[in-house]
Amino acid sequence: MRKNLKTYAGLALTPILTAALLAACGGNSNNGEPSSGANASPSASPSAAPSSSGSVQEASALPSKTFKALLDNNATFPYSKDWPIWKWIKDKTGVTLDVQTPSGKLSDSLNLAVASNAMPDLMYMPNRQESNKFGQQGALVDILKYVDEMPNLKAWMEKYPDEAKAALSADGKMYMFPNQGFGETNRMIWMYRKDVFDKEGIQVPTTYDELYQALKTLKAKYPDSYPLSIRYGQIPDEMNMNMTVNFGTGEGAYYDFDKKEWRYGPIEDNYKAMVETWKKFYDDGLIPPDFLSLQTKQWQDMMSTGKSFVTIDYISRIDFFNNAMQQENPDFNMQFLPPPAGIPGGKQLNPYFHYLEGGLTVASTSKQIDDIMKYMDFFYSEEGRTLASWGVEGESYEKSGDTLKFLPKYTDITETRKETGLQTSGTYTWIDFDSDLSLFSESLKNAYTEATKYDPPAMQPRPAFTEQENEVISLTGQAIKKHRDESFAKFVTGSRSLSEWDKYVEEMKNLGVDKLLDTYKTAYDRVQKVELNVK
Amino acid sequence: MASSSSRFRRIWQNNIYLWLLFLPCLLYYLIFRYAPMFGLVITFKDYNLFRGVWGSPWVGLKYYRLFLNNPDFWPLMKNTFLLGFYKLVFGFPAPILLALLLNELRKATMKRFVQTVSYLPHFISNVIVASMVIMFLSPSGGLINNMIEWFGFKPINFMNEPGMFRGIYVVSEIWQHIGWETIIYLAALTAVDPQLYEAASIDGASRMRKIWHVTLPGISPAIVITLILNIGQVLEIGFEKVYLMQNPAIYDTADIISTYVYRVGMEQGNFSYGSAIDLFMGIICFIFIYGANWISRRASETSLW
Repeated sequence: MRKNLKTYAGLALTPILTAALLAACGGNSNNGEPSSGANASPSASPSAAPSSSGSVQEASALPSKTFKALLDNNATFPYSKDWPIWKWIKDKTGVTLDVQTPSGKLSDSLNLAVASNAMPDLMYMPNRQESNKFGQQGALVDILKYVDEMPNLKAWMEKYPDEAKAALSADGKMYMFPNQGFGETNRMIWMYRKDVFDKEGIQVPTTYDELYQALKTLKAKYPDSYPLSIRYGQIPDEMNMNMTVNFGTGEGAYYDFDKKEWRYGPIEDNYKAMVETWKKFYDDGLIPPDFLSLQTKQWQDMMSTGKSFVTIDYISRIDFFNNAMQQENPDFNMQFLPPPAGIPGGKQLNPYFHYLEGGLTVASTSKQIDDIMKYMDFFYSEEGRTLASWGVEGESYEKSGDTLKFLPKYTDITETRKETGLQTSGTYTWIDFDSDLSLFSESLKNAYTEATKYDPPAMQPRPAFTEQENEVISLTGQAIKKHRDESFAKFVTGSRSLSEWDKYVEEMKNLGVDKLLDTYKTAYDRVQKVELNVK
Repeated sequence: MASSSSRFRRIWQNNIYLWLLFLPCLLYYLIFRYAPMFGLVITFKDYNLFRGVWGSPWVGLKYYRLFLNNPDFWPLMKNTFLLGFYKLVFGFPAPILLALLLNELRKATMKRFVQTVSYLPHFISNVIVASMVIMFLSPSGGLINNMIEWFGFKPINFMNEPGMFRGIYVVSEIWQHIGWETIIYLAALTAVDPQLYEAASIDGASRMRKIWHVTLPGISPAIVITLILNIGQVLEIGFEKVYLMQNPAIYDTADIISTYVYRVGMEQGNFSYGSAIDLFMGIICFIFIYGANWISRRASETSLW
């Protein structure tokens, strides 16, 4: 907090700016005027309307409105007020966003905005936990209350009930706009060096036993290598989810869709089988001995220099490695690997990661809540979806029959975002992921097509917790999680013998596994009871 | 009464420039050190950002009780204390030794070179230092292990051994800060009267004798003061570095209070709990520093107050 002097200064200014902008919107007589810059109303001093973009072709008679918004800022495509997306949105909705970006971390800026009671109308929150916390404290608007004014959102929620339910908070309210489509980039998959497997004549493994044999063969051929390498130390939660789902269990409390009950994974027999397998990998030198502390850079080097051949990571890493390595080594070929099944007769599954935790919220102190709801409703219409995913016909995409295609000048998704602002923070809720796909390489496209075949039946429920439940999760949950991670490390590296497994299960239970499960169950049952279309 | 207020005015008038010079410092402490202390009230409240400090409900000692009843409390305390203790025992004398060595160097250029090289690491961010340590010590291609293998030994999985963590941490701390911390001793050394050295030479004292009987007593006030201050900081271990260096295999020794607070307090946005632990640690630090000062005042004439 201490370091953010600049933010304080900014916050001191915000009420003044808001007042000026509201004044500007009040005298709304300039609707029909084309290109005079409808949002830079003459009554506002030039300095008070920083976001007024250049030429605005006002086609419709939409009343022009301005909302203040705190959005996230991505270093790869930093916010620009000149992005065409803002003009496109304005053309469709009449809305201009007066955007602030965080001066440091987004969560710090959010805390400051809430604590100083100077909240912008719209705020991008990095995850549901934040939005539920602020919502329950009274800082955010319950979107469900306005759902009758939002026909598109209403229809959307019937189409995507799981996504909508995941956006509910513990008190059955919805503080964050639900999203769909964008999370695809969060997918995590197994991948392997197809060229090496082909050269050595190794079959693509479908089970962990076959994987073990394949890794053994590779180790024999390349004694200096660690055939399987993962970034366990960097993204432990994600890795745990990947590893456990392969063995038909969970990395913590998880909902078993078959048995319809909450279970705790790390004390189950399937989890033990997973630990045994990784111990075997470790003992035989098939994974790096320091896989627990491996840095991302080290892992990248191993993958790209042929010291490792199989890995688990984010799906876009396929292009990341291929693009970088194929220039000097044309044979280098990183491809999607179906997730191996851990237990006999088990399913080949990847974890359900393709959802987005963050989203937009509305400040309860805003004076334009109704207008904001109308504005946001647009993004749940087919038209809004196309705009958010593809932009505008003729300007960013062209249509041939029913399929859309980006104009030839857009070849790379990151560059496209950097130039147009498409799919950047605050410009989307519902995305047609085909737009991203259309710009990917063949290998990555293939990976996306293949990956959907190994999706779990449904998204793990993510019930929201009350403050009291959160305390259990953070205190009891932390103690359990720490013991889980520590024990996994000890079992695999052999500093604790697996013959003590039963003792470990007992230790976990003493730490309060049952209490944790009850908490999840209570929260889940509460959310299940909430009807989405009430009010 | 009147006389005391006039005396105050006289003090003010006589020293007005001194007061003006002191003013920025005073303001700094009032605004950035004393005013935020009122925020400690949130440790007794269920702090809620939106309702603000005054609007949040009181919960008494709830967060202190939560911390003390935590099953991890004692291991965390022990790890924090031991890590700080080793850092003090090995890290405190290191810069004094380096300062003494530098002081004995005849060539000024050599001295300056060593000084510059030794305090460069101080300016490297902890994130990079932690990353360097892990990479150098890695058994799959790390520099140190390559050397160990070259000598024909088996590579050591340094970051997987709970017993090694404290050593690795302390060595990296010394490497990082040794040069920087010598500055104060080198400054103190310049204040030692050269006549004392001449007198000692005439009496036939050897180099070691001169260090022992002239140099060390000359800088002992500086040593004692920094020692007392360091004792006060035994439990204040830089969070980032430990957090970045730890992994589940070495939680036994590497999980300390600040990393715990990070996981429970900050990640979950529980400000009250985090602040309560901080205040608790502050009180312990205060007891330490007070005790050290008390002992020092008894045993020698040097003390903080």
